Amino acid sequence: MSIEIRGLTHIYMPGTPFETRALDDVSLTIRDGDFVGVIGHTGSGKSTLIAHLNALIRPEPGHVFVGGVDVGEKGQSLIEIRREVGLVFQYPEYQLFEETVEKDVGFGPRNLGLDEETVKTRVREALSQVGLGEEILEKSPFELSGGQQQRVAIAGVLAMKPGTLVLDEPAAGLGPAGPEGLLTLIQGIHESGVTVVMVTHSMDDAARFCDRLIVLNHGRVAFDAVPGEVFRHEAELRGMGLDVPECVKLVRALKERGMDLGEGLYRMEDVRAAIEREVGKC
Amino acid sequence: MLKNITIGQYFPGNSFVHRLDPRTKLLLTLGLIVVVFLSQGFLGFAAVFGYVLLAARMSKIHLRFLVRGLKPVAYIVLITFLLNIFFQSEGTPLFSWKFITVTDMGLRRAAFLAVRLVLLITASQLLTLTTSAISLTDGMESLMRPLTRLRFPAHEIAMMMSIALRFIPTLMEEADKIMKAQMARGADFESGNLFRRAKAMVPLLVPLFVSAFRRADELAMAMEARCYHGGEGRTRMRQLKYGKNDGIAGLSLLALVAVIVLFNILGVF
Repeated sequence: MSIEIRGLTHIYMPGTPFETRALDDVSLTIRDGDFVGVIGHTGSGKSTLIAHLNALIRPEPGHVFVGGVDVGEKGQSLIEIRREVGLVFQYPEYQLFEETVEKDVGFGPRNLGLDEETVKTRVREALSQVGLGEEILEKSPFELSGGQQQRVAIAGVLAMKPGTLVLDEPAAGLGPAGPEGLLTLIQGIHESGVTVVMVTHSMDDAARFCDRLIVLNHGRVAFDAVPGEVFRHEAELRGMGLDVPECVKLVRALKERGMDLGEGLYRMEDVRAAIEREVGKC
Repeated sequence: MLKNITIGQYFPGNSFVHRLDPRTKLLLTLGLIVVVFLSQGFLGFAAVFGYVLLAARMSKIHLRFLVRGLKPVAYIVLITFLLNIFFQSEGTPLFSWKFITVTDMGLRRAAFLAVRLVLLITASQLLTLTTSAISLTDGMESLMRPLTRLRFPAHEIAMMMSIALRFIPTLMEEADKIMKAQMARGADFESGNLFRRAKAMVPLLVPLFVSAFRRADELAMAMEARCYHGGEGRTRMRQLKYGKNDGIAGLSLLALVAVIVLFNILGVF
């Protein structure tokens, strides 16, 4: 189901000296099958935006439609929206609470009112989706490593079978080897037919995995385009406290030294192929 | 939903009351509490109320803040009021229905206790509204220092208090995040009976405690890394010093005490 956002504004603590405009007239659409990256500097409204996607914050003023249903409408069942749009927060320790991994991953499906048999199958499916084996089922979530906790947290949302998975900085707080595996895993989830929205501050990750980027700046959508288009605006991105991927910088540096690889290259493998082609010509 | 808690909220300012030594303000509050208990009639309460109002005016604290602070305790005041009306059988009955009898004495007593409670709360609110947590604990530590000779851990208690106060907003913010994470998994904190609601708190409280313990551990580490070793031989950046204003404030309280005592002696209620 696609998600449509129309004219969404959100102000924190209105009417006080602490008033802040986190979102300012944001309109965008997340289509089925997208892999969207949401990027922006700290305080640009990323987290506020994604909390609107599954009605954790009521759109006021503005509208959020999930599969055509207005989430802000009074009497609207929120649990159905939250099942459809699964949201995984940055810190897994904010959601793990049960004695065993099995019970914890089963928390979501159990809240949906599913019977124990179904919950059991869903837990196992979700864990295998995030690359964890059955040996982990009886472990306490608190004795796992940070990376495993993050996977269990994602499994806890996947077990609700969402059509859209929203992840807030999934790779933050993992060791140097952590992000790689986790992101490949998210890519796998996307290929299995789940729409993915990923908040990230790593331009390299955004370039590698996303097929569309939404850049937020002071609560407004600065760019909403394919990565190749977004990364052409290097100066503007820098002005927002953002950067471009390393390989885009490489392409620029090579161009300055006389090797023109052409426009719109932002993925490492493409850049590499282009360089090899260029070198082969010599 | 967690935003309405105003316990110990500080309202920054630079008024006469704000600038008073925290020790003075602590002692004045203590004195006001004694005065409230000393007063035997509504006239005395009126005097205390006037005093508090004057202090609030001088501190430029909006009365709205004082009223808002009364909200969480409104029920306690109400229950005290009702209990005292219904469980007082002395005096002339004004109204009677089945086993409930309302007497004039009961009504008077109920109003008396309710006003007393409101005054106590307002007075102590004024203290926290005009004094930052740090100077409050500094003041407490300084006032409790004579007790260290009796092996009373004055510094440790003050340090514990300031840490606790410091982390209230942090924990609130964290609780908010955890609630959102669990709501995203379909947790429901708002409906069901009392028992179901209590059970629904588990997914909130477990991560909150886990994180609070981790935070405490990290804080202890960070303090030790900066050579914290307790209160002994510790010097402070801001020395507390009584000034002329503290004397004036003290005298004003003495005047209030005199008025109340006079009321009591004369028997005006």
